[in-house]
Amino acid sequence: MILRLAFGSLIARSLTVCMTILAIALSVALFLGVEKVRTGAKASFADTISGTDLIVGARSGSVQLLLYSVFRIGNATNNMTWESYQDIADRPEVDWIVPISLGDSHRQFRVMGTTQAFFERYKYRSGQSLALRDGALMDDLFDTVIGADVAATLGYDIEDPIVVAHGLASFTEHEDQPFQVSGILEKTGTPVDRTVIVSLEAIEAIHVDWQSGAQIPGQSTPADVLRQMELQPQAITAALVGVKGRLQVFGLQRSINEYPQEPLLAILPGVALQELWQIVGIAETALIGVSAMVIITALIGMMATIFSSLNERRREMAIFRAMGARPRVILGLLVLEAVIMAALGAVLGLGLLYVGLFIGQPLIDSAFGLWLPIEPPSLRELWVLLGVVAAGAIVSMIPALRAYRMSLADGMMVRI
Amino acid sequence: MKLLPILAATALTTTPAFAEETRQLDAHEHGVGQLDIAFAGQKIAMSLRAPGADIVGFEYAATRAEDRAAVDAAVAALAGPLDLFMVPDAAGCSVVQASAELESEDDHDDQDHDEHAHDDHAEEAHEDHDEHAHDEHADKASHTEFHAEYVLTCADPSAVTELTFAYFDRFPNAQEVEVQLISDTGATAFEVERDAPTLDLRGMF
Repeated sequence: MILRLAFGSLIARSLTVCMTILAIALSVALFLGVEKVRTGAKASFADTISGTDLIVGARSGSVQLLLYSVFRIGNATNNMTWESYQDIADRPEVDWIVPISLGDSHRQFRVMGTTQAFFERYKYRSGQSLALRDGALMDDLFDTVIGADVAATLGYDIEDPIVVAHGLASFTEHEDQPFQVSGILEKTGTPVDRTVIVSLEAIEAIHVDWQSGAQIPGQSTPADVLRQMELQPQAITAALVGVKGRLQVFGLQRSINEYPQEPLLAILPGVALQELWQIVGIAETALIGVSAMVIITALIGMMATIFSSLNERRREMAIFRAMGARPRVILGLLVLEAVIMAALGAVLGLGLLYVGLFIGQPLIDSAFGLWLPIEPPSLRELWVLLGVVAAGAIVSMIPALRAYRMSLADGMMVRI
Repeated sequence: MKLLPILAATALTTTPAFAEETRQLDAHEHGVGQLDIAFAGQKIAMSLRAPGADIVGFEYAATRAEDRAAVDAAVAALAGPLDLFMVPDAAGCSVVQASAELESEDDHDDQDHDEHAHDDHAEEAHEDHDEHAHDEHADKASHTEFHAEYVLTCADPSAVTELTFAYFDRFPNAQEVEVQLISDTGATAFEVERDAPTLDLRGMF
């Protein structure tokens, strides 16, 4: 009975009610969206590298080394020498080691020099390996394997030629040594998707005729000669290391950090990520705080509309009371209306979130490399929704109590 | 020979004796220790590094009898990991191996030093940067660190749901321990502070 009354009264004031619901819905969608991006970003970062015990590079900061070597974000770290790399590779604790060399680019994508072992050892999303969608791994010096996004964006197929640009500036290109696409990787949702992978020797080969960052004029070594050359890299950017036993990880980390011949840094990817979250934690809290304030604002807006509706509904309330409705019923009616509005707002907000995710997912993925999963709402999100409804009920108590006290006297009085 | 005011201002201490080689200094922040924990099967390996200032309250070479007694007592205390980092009884842990030692920066290879987050020694350290004078004032300027290595074995490592740092009660100068931890679920880091001396390990198994 009271439910029908509540619905009826909401429908009678459908325009203001719709606006109120929309405000609540938008605020709820914003709050949940911030949560989604936050947790999605964390999960996406954490999923990018797994199975690697240590990342070794030149001494810098652990966050910088992680971001540059794995995510290709931020400032370049110094290079480390090949001698140091081999020293580390020869240590008994080291199970496997994969060198990484960054610095060149192809269109907007990074070129990474590495060894075949990368495809075996690089793991993402709790232990998944890279898989080829098409073609084969690098065989020839000038073969490349490209990530799924590279292939999709540039429309590359197996055996297409690729010209690698020197550095990130595309005006100097290694035109004399074009590469060929030998394989295309499956989509991974990691920065590998946006990477052109070549062999470490190839990185050396394209720089054979280069000196101090520029090509020596008129000099171009033919590809066949390069294939015969001993192409030993001088330096690499970083190395991914797997340790034989978990108990040895910290010992190896410490001895690399104290390596006397060169200032090196060994980091545990998980620990470096944790450090990163500590840094961005303040910004996260601020974001959550702001979006929570938006929800509160929307609820206060709802309270304001209920207050103003009380004025229009003086007679209605008085008639209910005159027909024998107890003050409790008036209170219940108003709170119920608020709860219905808050609940509709919360559900609509959730709907808006999913629509937004559906539209935004590919855009965010291509712009930031962040894959936000579309999943059913988590328990935490359901609690947030319930909280919004409860807060709506509490907020509406203020106008409802006023109506409770005033309904009879107020409505019966004749106002001029 | 001459003062090096710029170096003094940047708060770098102690030049290694073989200064022509490489110059590196370890990170050294008073009040902050580092604890590495690795869980592997039934074994738990821990490695603690804490500045001398945290453990005994001084970092000069202990020559007086009471200082030496303090160092000996600290080393003895550090050799008992289960009294410093208490694991729940349900885990049934016992110590397989425990060692603790005091390491001064002059003991180990002179190259082994890192950046220095520590100001107050800057002036005294840079009174004289002459290589001849170096040996004489080495102990005055150096920092010392206590190192301890532990291996525990636990009947039920998954019952190690938390570590209680009685370490802070035993060593009143210690303020914080930075923890690095590896388990089946990967590597992560925590900061354990004097105010909240427990480390929650649920979710690490």
